Amino acid sequence: MNAGGSYENTKAFLIDTTKCTGCRGCQVACKQWNQLEGEKTHFFSGEGYQNPPQMSEYTFTRVKFKDYKKNGQNEFAFYKEMCMHCNEPACASVCPVGALKKTAEGPVVYEADKCIGCRFCMMACPFGVPKYEWSKAFPLVRKCTGCYSRIKNGLHPACATACPTAITYGTRAEMIKEAENRIKNRPQRYYPKIYGQHEAGGTGVLYLTHQPLDELGFKPVTSRPLPSYTWQALRMVPGIFLTVGGSLSALSWFTHRKERIKREEEMLGKGRSPEAEAHEDREERP
Amino acid sequence: MTAAKIIINEIKGYHRFLQAMIVLVGLGVLASAVRFIFGLGATTHLNDTYPWGLWISFDVVTAVPLAAGAFTIGVVAHVFHIKKLEPLVRPAIITGFLGYSLVCIGLLLDLGQPQRGWHTLVYWNLHSPMFEVSMCVMAYTTVLTLEFLHPVCERFGWHVPLRLLRNLEVPFAVLAASISSLHQSSLGTFFLIAVDKLHNLWYNPLLPLLFILSAIFTGLSIIIFEATLVHRYLRQPDETELLQTLTKIIPWFLGLYLVVKLYALAYLSHGPRFDRPGLTALFLLEMVGGVVVPMVIFSLKRTRTDSSLQLRAATLVLAGLILNRFNVSMFGMIQKNQEIYFPSVIESLVTLGIIAAHILFFVLISKYFPVFEHHPETVDYAIPDRFHKIEGSEEGDKTVKA
Amino acid sequence: MTNHWIDLKNADAILAIGCNPAENHPISFKWIEEALDKGAKLIAVDPRFTRTASKADVYAQLRPGTDIAFLGGLINYALQKGMFHEEYVREYTNAAFIVNDSYDFQDGMFNSFDEKEKSYDPKSWGYALDASGNPRRDPSLKDPKCVFQLMKKHYSRYDVDKVCSITGTRKEDFLKVAEAYCATGRAGKAGTILYAMGITQSTHGSQNVRATALLQLLLGNIGIAGGGVNALRGESNVQGSTDYGLLFHLLPGYLKSPEFDNVDLKAYKEKWTPKTKDAKSANWWGNTPKYITSLLKGWYGDNATAENDFCYDYLPKRSGNYGYVKILEKMGKGGIEGLVCMGMNPAVGGPDSGKAREALGKLKWLVTADLWETETSIFWKRPGVDPKQIQTEVFMLPAASSVEKEGSISNSGRWTQWRYAAIKPIADSRSDLWILDQFHKRVKNLYATKGGVFPEPITRLAWNYGNGEEADVHLVAREINGYFTKDTTIKDKDKTLEFKKGDQVPMFKYLQDDGSTVSGCWIYCGSFTNEGNQMARRDQSDPTGLGMYPKWAWAWPVNRRIIYNRASVKPNGEPFDPTRKVIAWDPLEKKWKGDVPDGPWPPMTDAKEGKYPFIMVPEGHGRLYALDLKDGPFPEHYEPMESPALNNLSKVQNNPVVAVPKNVSSDTKKFPYVGTTYRVTEHWQAGAMTRSLPWLVELVPDMFVEISETLARHKGIVNGDTVTVTTERGSISAKALVTSRLKPFEVEGKHIEQVGMPWHFGYAGMATGDSGNVLTPSVGCANTGIPEFKAFLCNIEKGGKRA
Ligand SMILES: Nc1nc2c(c(=O)[nH]1)N[C@H]1C(S)=C(S)[C@@H](COP(=O)(O)OP(=O)(O)OC[C@H]3O[C@@H](n4cnc5c(=O)[nH]c(N)nc54)[C@H](O)[C@@H]3O)O[C@H]1N2
Ligand SMILES: Nc1nc2c(c(=O)[nH]1)N[C@H]1C(S)=C(S)[C@@H](COP(=O)(O)OP(=O)(O)OC[C@H]3O[C@@H](n4cnc5c(=O)[nH]c(N)nc54)[C@H](O)[C@@H]3O)O[C@H]1N2
Ligand code: SF4
Ligand code: SF4
Ligand code: SF4
Ligand code: SF4
Ligand code: SF4
Ligand SMILES: [Mo]
Repeated sequence: MNAGGSYENTKAFLIDTTKCTGCRGCQVACKQWNQLEGEKTHFFSGEGYQNPPQMSEYTFTRVKFKDYKKNGQNEFAFYKEMCMHCNEPACASVCPVGALKKTAEGPVVYEADKCIGCRFCMMACPFGVPKYEWSKAFPLVRKCTGCYSRIKNGLHPACATACPTAITYGTRAEMIKEAENRIKNRPQRYYPKIYGQHEAGGTGVLYLTHQPLDELGFKPVTSRPLPSYTWQALRMVPGIFLTVGGSLSALSWFTHRKERIKREEEMLGKGRSPEAEAHEDREERP
Repeated sequence: MTAAKIIINEIKGYHRFLQAMIVLVGLGVLASAVRFIFGLGATTHLNDTYPWGLWISFDVVTAVPLAAGAFTIGVVAHVFHIKKLEPLVRPAIITGFLGYSLVCIGLLLDLGQPQRGWHTLVYWNLHSPMFEVSMCVMAYTTVLTLEFLHPVCERFGWHVPLRLLRNLEVPFAVLAASISSLHQSSLGTFFLIAVDKLHNLWYNPLLPLLFILSAIFTGLSIIIFEATLVHRYLRQPDETELLQTLTKIIPWFLGLYLVVKLYALAYLSHGPRFDRPGLTALFLLEMVGGVVVPMVIFSLKRTRTDSSLQLRAATLVLAGLILNRFNVSMFGMIQKNQEIYFPSVIESLVTLGIIAAHILFFVLISKYFPVFEHHPETVDYAIPDRFHKIEGSEEGDKTVKA
Repeated sequence: MTNHWIDLKNADAILAIGCNPAENHPISFKWIEEALDKGAKLIAVDPRFTRTASKADVYAQLRPGTDIAFLGGLINYALQKGMFHEEYVREYTNAAFIVNDSYDFQDGMFNSFDEKEKSYDPKSWGYALDASGNPRRDPSLKDPKCVFQLMKKHYSRYDVDKVCSITGTRKEDFLKVAEAYCATGRAGKAGTILYAMGITQSTHGSQNVRATALLQLLLGNIGIAGGGVNALRGESNVQGSTDYGLLFHLLPGYLKSPEFDNVDLKAYKEKWTPKTKDAKSANWWGNTPKYITSLLKGWYGDNATAENDFCYDYLPKRSGNYGYVKILEKMGKGGIEGLVCMGMNPAVGGPDSGKAREALGKLKWLVTADLWETETSIFWKRPGVDPKQIQTEVFMLPAASSVEKEGSISNSGRWTQWRYAAIKPIADSRSDLWILDQFHKRVKNLYATKGGVFPEPITRLAWNYGNGEEADVHLVAREINGYFTKDTTIKDKDKTLEFKKGDQVPMFKYLQDDGSTVSGCWIYCGSFTNEGNQMARRDQSDPTGLGMYPKWAWAWPVNRRIIYNRASVKPNGEPFDPTRKVIAWDPLEKKWKGDVPDGPWPPMTDAKEGKYPFIMVPEGHGRLYALDLKDGPFPEHYEPMESPALNNLSKVQNNPVVAVPKNVSSDTKKFPYVGTTYRVTEHWQAGAMTRSLPWLVELVPDMFVEISETLARHKGIVNGDTVTVTTERGSISAKALVTSRLKPFEVEGKHIEQVGMPWHFGYAGMATGDSGNVLTPSVGCANTGIPEFKAFLCNIEKGGKRA
């Protein structure tokens, strides 16, 4: 983990939903690059032509459709959901075996060989991203890889490459600047907030929208990095261990003192059987 | 007669209740096999919305505090050196040992890659509460196993280890308590990551403290629960008198818990608390039924001598704790408009099997090993003259029966 | 496209009418978005609130089939409000031209209609000529018989209220469109019109397109950057296929195919070479003789000589219509023995597909060359038929896909880009070139060994594409460009050029009509020169900054990126818009700078050599008034063949030159709703390409129809219900998608509901479903025959199809 470091130069996605046409090229490109199975769907699973119903072990990214009205006029909005590649990922922080980790380049990647399949990452992710291979007897976790293998080789992620309009890819600092510029240049087009700039302590996916975020289905998420919430407790572990262990030891040393002294005396003196000792104790009962 | 026949005959002689437990355990084993053949998705109602279900909520998150009797009584009896309570220790250790072993089994079923369980030992992530819990659970299960060797050694009259174990009793108690305070609280830390998921009625930074506090009073309560039932149904000695001490301790912890909880709710939670009537009801049920009422009962003078009142109060505490752990790990996590999770038959069978196994093994162990008979004063920890068994186990038994 | 995809970024206003680029041309949005970022306005005019509409600044709903009313309304608005580009209209269009006295328009009909033949005589609409034989003109545009005045009069009937009562558009929306778009009617402003199937798939489709052209001419939007009339073409290489003449009435390079009375080459040239007496008119089609001769030389090589008319006799001569609808009609009657379907799936793609499927059963043999098993190739075992009853012998040839072969692809912007094979064809599949090559060789061999009635057109073909296992695609490309058949000297102004036999012809102005040059498609002359394959160029320089990338690939004609670009400058050669200079005359260097100009001549004001900008018509002026369409010189609104409304503009209900076919019904009692078909991003056409791909099937798994919330309530249908849609042709089952994106129209006080649906489904492939085309009528555009897929009448009921 790039603990406490700056994420300015990690790679980030700027997804401008005002420019997204809902073409779902990204969704298909992702499946192609990652060779994910097509899901069996029926009709449409949500508003508009939305499908499949959720991100899943087979679907790392999905375009959500939102059919609604504003001032009596139709609106049709689209937004691509995917792993947010958090600066300080909750998923990675809770993984007992460190199978998930934030790379220096930006993507939060997953080492399948380490994973024990406990699904804590799924519980922890504030965006509901990691998915599980429910169909398998020995399942693993699956999620967007940020196309780490591509960016390691100088390419952009498959989805960003396929997208005709909405996705820009670059360093996080550049993307934030670009987003700020867009908001400044066309204030009537944009809702003045960059989702992901502060959410969960900042993420590697940044969104611009036309409408207030909650209307589009963005979850409000705390701006404090999630790992810090558990760390504030976990960091006390050694302290607690030593305190509890130490004080109980001290206490027992103290409580056993009388007995010990007695035994020492006995060793020196008459040598009574332990049974007798115990009986004595029993007799002391009030 | 073959060994199998002997076993079958033995089982035929068991009480119907025990036979029923055996059937349940058998079903649980079958259900577990089904899980491994057909996969988690097909056999459970777990899904991406509910990655954790009954198995985690009950078999792990709830079972661990329910098995807290061992370390709490260990501290009380050994560390505080209230020797008269020692007879309560061994059954508690058996319960703990069984509890933790079954937690491990439950976890293995729930893990996607159980064969990689050992990875936690190798790939460390100090930031993960689960890493911490698994380390602790493994360590603690080892301690419990060692402690469990006590009656085993006694049963077979292995004197050398017996003596060793006897000497380790106090260090083990200290170790058990330190480890337990870590992982019992860390189970609470699990849910600290669920910042925007867990409802404010339960989410607060003191969750770990609340978890360890509740584990303590639960541990003590389960001893009362267990001893009372064992007395009633297994015709073992009535320990009401010993339990009296516990009834004096428990309300203090319940009270402390209540104060911390209310403080956290009032000052450390953020956002709306009573916005969802269903959750509010669960919360009140948990707090009133599981904390306030038992606290009052335990504080009554009458309770000290009234074993059924003790049992009732303890039962309330246990029910309250179970509800609390479900509230935190499941109900409180359900977002508005989210479909409701209900465990599948297989999941339920596995959990039932685990509970049945606990009861079954407990009874069997107490049947075949010196558990309740054990009053420490009756055992000779001295190393015998010859380096082999001089007193047959029968003799040991005799000693006790005498 | 007069312009090209990237040029969309230069527009100030983008009118997308009858097309849905966000869904069907997603990449176009890259450039549309760029324009929007610079403050352009996007206007979407569509019966449905589409994904394009969701990105638009202005959305106007219109009833299917009423685009002429809508566009006529815009024309009228521009004329009434004076929001047109006056200098442009006067100088560059035929507005000032005076029409002869016989022209007349009365109550929906132009003059010279022949009731029996159901046709006009377009000659009766000619210009009035002066003594020298040139059209008379009135630059003041005041003459009541000049095109401008006639047009003004014609469209004065299209006032806002009238228009909206026909189209069902909300008046305020129409006015928003009018204001936003007509604002581009002046120098320095650019507006582009994007259109596709919502405009063309109509019994008056060509007139719909004409209406867009009229509007653009009025607003001075043709020839400029960010302007143009831009057809968003369909199939990835459909531009190439039309360029190469894959239509019954055309030869490669838009040369006309010979008609029955073009008995010899001379007669052909006579008929198809337009003439002008105006020295300022370039009249480029005057070069027809050079192009047809070079084409024949390409086809028949050394066998083609001046003496034998360059084998002109071998070309088939047409009499009448051989369009899709007609072929299917004939096939249905058992009049056709065999059919080769190469990359086409008529069992799903054509109108009235129930009939088409039956017609296939009348064939003796059917060949399909496709990537997939399509509905057409398994028509004999489609649901509900007994294969034993069908005698057609079917051959399936596995074709290689576009990524498995090398060659060129021409996009809508006329850019032809060379592509390489990414992988080898899988299994036994072969490129279409291989298949055609084998067809040729084997048929030729059959003729040679078994003889035939008229074998020469095949046996004497020149086929010089190497001796490889597959014809050499580079040799094909070289021949398409053209080369010299002997050493040739050409005088070009002050230069003398020497060419050797076998040299590639550098550009089409050097093609000859004496057999000394070959060119397989004259407009592609320049694509493969002695310097190499120009289509394979990948230079990313953009000297004008307008996104023309002159060294990226190659665009026909002569690498011109914006055609009619001489209309982007004032008559003296100065750009109308100095910020977006497509071309500009440099008076010092005496040459054009920027894009390749439409002809090398100096600006129009140059008395000696200046030329008019619209070089492809003999009068050199953009035609506000057309002389060669079958259904009139001005677009006039008629209702679609099946319509829920009476024509509110005249008593002529339908396009008078289109015969009413048998399979239509305007009984609104039986079929009260307007049906329309369209595409979704997720599927491709007849569906073979996408319904066999799990990733796309997942996105849109079922055939569905979209209906409004009001219609759903009325019929008790909820989202996801199975419904049955019925027309005079047949009925289909589908899932209902209830959405506020589809709304009913208020037409003349009547509430008219619409039922929209994709046409991508069929019974082959992975995801199957009923075909929308079971419902559509087999009736086409008066001029092109494109079927009226976009407006018909239907009924919808809850529940599955009755057995
Ligand atoms: N994803 C995808 N892309 C494609 C294709 C595909 O199948 N799938 N096909 C390709 C091909 S071959 C072609 S030709 C193009 C076609 O591209 P488009 O013409 O954009 O395709 P359509 O969806 O058929 O029709 C466009 C719009 O016309 C509207 N419309 C219907 N009737 C009318 C009308 O009377 N007037 C007006 N103004 N609009 C009307 C429809 O609601 C629809 O939104 O797309 C090409 N691109
Ligand atoms: N109702 C309704 N009907 C319509 C329309 C509409 O809007 N509404 N639109 C119409 C329009 S615009 C069009 S263009 C037509 C299209 O109608 P079709 O051309 O019949 O439809 P496609 O599915 O594009 O068929 C092309 C076939 O070519 C195959 N193919 C792909 N690549 C190759 C190749 O390299 N070689 C060979 N040999 N085959 C290949 C594909 O697998 C596919 O089966 O449909 C028309 N039909
Ligand atoms: S979005 Fe979720 S899965 Fe992705 S990096 Fe953040 S916490 Fe991890
Ligand atoms: S499921 Fe795997 S990746 Fe997720 S937290 Fe557990 S071990 Fe880590
Ligand atoms: S970054 Fe790669 S893995 Fe992630 S959504 Fe995009 S294509 Fe899929
Ligand atoms: S590819 Fe781009 S425009 Fe298309 S749906 Fe995805 S994000 Fe939106
Ligand atoms: S499908 Fe191909 S041709 Fe159509 S928009 Fe996408 S990239 Fe362009
Ligand atoms: Mo098309």
